[in-house]
Amino acid sequence: MRIVILGSSVYSETTCAMAVRMAESGHIPIGALALSSTDRATLRRKLAQWGVPGVVNYARTKLVPRRFDERPRLNNPYLESLLKNRDGVFRDLREVAAVYRFSVATCRDQNFPSSIAQLRAWSPDLIIFTGGNILRKQLLQVPRLGVLNVHLGFLPEIRGMSSPEWSLLNHVPVGITIHYMDEGIDTGPILQRYDFPDLAECESLSDLRNRLIAFGVNKIAEVVNGLDQNKISATAQRDLDKDNQFFVMHEWLQARAAECFTNRRKPIAAETMNG
Amino acid sequence: MVDSASDRSGRNGSGYATTVRLSRARFSVAMTEVTGLLRGPQRIVPLIEKLASDKLRVAFEQRHLYSYTTTKRDSGETLNSLLRWILDAQRAGGGVAAYYSLLTGYSASYPEVTGYIVPTLYQCFHTNGNLQAVGAAERATRWLLSLQMPTGAFPGGLHGGSQKDGPLPSVFNTGQILQGLVRAHTETTRPEILKAAVAAGDWLIGMQQSDGSWSGSSTYQNAAHTYYSMVSWALAELSERSGDPRHVLAAEKNLDWVLAHFRPSGWIDGINLRGHPIYLHFVAYVLQGALECGILLRRNDAVDAVAKSAWVLLRKFETSKYLCGAYEPDFKGGQRFTCLTGNAQMSCVWLRLFEVNGDLRYLNAALKMNEMLKQLIPARGRHGIAGGVSGSYPVWGPYQPFRYISWGCKFFADALLLEQRLKQSVKVSAFEELRCAS
Repeated sequence: MRIVILGSSVYSETTCAMAVRMAESGHIPIGALALSSTDRATLRRKLAQWGVPGVVNYARTKLVPRRFDERPRLNNPYLESLLKNRDGVFRDLREVAAVYRFSVATCRDQNFPSSIAQLRAWSPDLIIFTGGNILRKQLLQVPRLGVLNVHLGFLPEIRGMSSPEWSLLNHVPVGITIHYMDEGIDTGPILQRYDFPDLAECESLSDLRNRLIAFGVNKIAEVVNGLDQNKISATAQRDLDKDNQFFVMHEWLQARAAECFTNRRKPIAAETMNG
Repeated sequence: MVDSASDRSGRNGSGYATTVRLSRARFSVAMTEVTGLLRGPQRIVPLIEKLASDKLRVAFEQRHLYSYTTTKRDSGETLNSLLRWILDAQRAGGGVAAYYSLLTGYSASYPEVTGYIVPTLYQCFHTNGNLQAVGAAERATRWLLSLQMPTGAFPGGLHGGSQKDGPLPSVFNTGQILQGLVRAHTETTRPEILKAAVAAGDWLIGMQQSDGSWSGSSTYQNAAHTYYSMVSWALAELSERSGDPRHVLAAEKNLDWVLAHFRPSGWIDGINLRGHPIYLHFVAYVLQGALECGILLRRNDAVDAVAKSAWVLLRKFETSKYLCGAYEPDFKGGQRFTCLTGNAQMSCVWLRLFEVNGDLRYLNAALKMNEMLKQLIPARGRHGIAGGVSGSYPVWGPYQPFRYISWGCKFFADALLLEQRLKQSVKVSAFEELRCAS
């Protein structure tokens, strides 16, 4: 199967881990297309999402060479097993591509005609989306099978942003959905939903988010294998007439979600400890 | 609130004559405003400061999905500064100025706003224990009672305005003042306030058309308007104090008439303003009035209709972190400026919808909207500026340009008061009961 990976940056740990996971499961990507890291819009979004210290720390992790005896610096420690290489960890997509021998291209917008032309040149069966722009119809039509996305919540119940937090506040089980993307926001046909089994072990909401990402990266290989062997098929979402879209959560509600998380975790943790 | 100058000029006329009168009135207002700086040169520096700060903000402002998700300014502090602005704007007689103009300074007192600012003042007292707010509410009520006409109506326009035949009765302003009287009676139980409120309510019933609308010489531009749902809200509130079924019936009739104007797209027809764009302020008025009236009368159809329109605006705000200052029908197009008052009103609508249906997305949007508005309130400056809510952002936008308006402060204070109340009531255990409405 010819696979292409779309990423938000060549430095994205999720994009790198996804490329490694695909390669390890026998589907070495044909190519990867990532947004340029110096793009102003991306930088602004990341500044707003992580704050200045977060962006500085991230840049330091990616750009400053690690001392020999230092542990690998990763924003998401649960991707470490995938990102480990001989010299430490993969710091960017080009390092992954050099090992597994696939092409990497960068762009300012994944929907630009030049990006579409690049994707067409790779002639993919499947595109795996790990971040970037809202994808337009022209791009969605490029791959033979479709564009896959790992959504960090259950569809159709929780569409959109801050999905783990909204799941907690709305008492929807925490999990992931792997689905084909369409022009709507998280409205495409569903391939698989997975309950997240390690909620009791999570220490915080950000820890939960990191674990969900790693869980998704691992599970997508199962889905790709299933598609490759024609063992799974997609099901159109129900409730498309309902507006289940959620938006980025305000910090006050995030704090309430964190309290909900602690409350929900306690009984699960006790149950786990009691055997 | 409708611009008092155009309010006065818009009456007793129609078609071309009205348009000509509107243009003349606007020209006259513009001349007064421009020459205002000559009369008060001390206002030049604050004006330049405001123009420069808005110009810079507009040039460098970046909105994205994560905008307004963090608290950069304390809500309680902002609420206090809004209250200080309102107290500063109260004139010696008890009336509250309509606005502070960067060109001409404080305006005359405005009965309509003085009326519906009374509930906000009492709520500030109950939330923060501010005794000055109670004193201000009592002075405002006394002043309003002195203005009531023998018919029970209250006058339109600014106090001491330029109407040739003296002040004219106004349906909308009477309804807005009625809100204040009802709240003042709830707080004080003074019989003369209830008597005045009932007289105002009875006058409104007398002026109501058989279809439930209000039109004719006591309405703005002699036409029926769906944003008079604010009047039916006041009548529904009055009915709870008076126990008079006629007040309920009148509110219900108007609510039915308003609901018949909701389109499937969520847009509301019948706002009906000649010579004005449809500012968000008026759209939000329709929604606020219909929602509050619907809640009081236990009309789920009204709550559902408002929720549909409010959701359309919520999606627009969440996806672009921006609501247009004025919209075309079906929310198509729109003018690229911000009507801060309309935004504050939408925050109130979303917060009340959250309270009614428990959908946290309304609370989430309102929290972000309040963050955005807090960032646009001047923390420093002279009286009339610090803590003020400008008509438009940028300040030269078409809605109440170069003015800090009292009803903007009122609605934003209402939004922050609601935010405080709902935050206190939402305990973690309450999330067991909360759900996504859709």
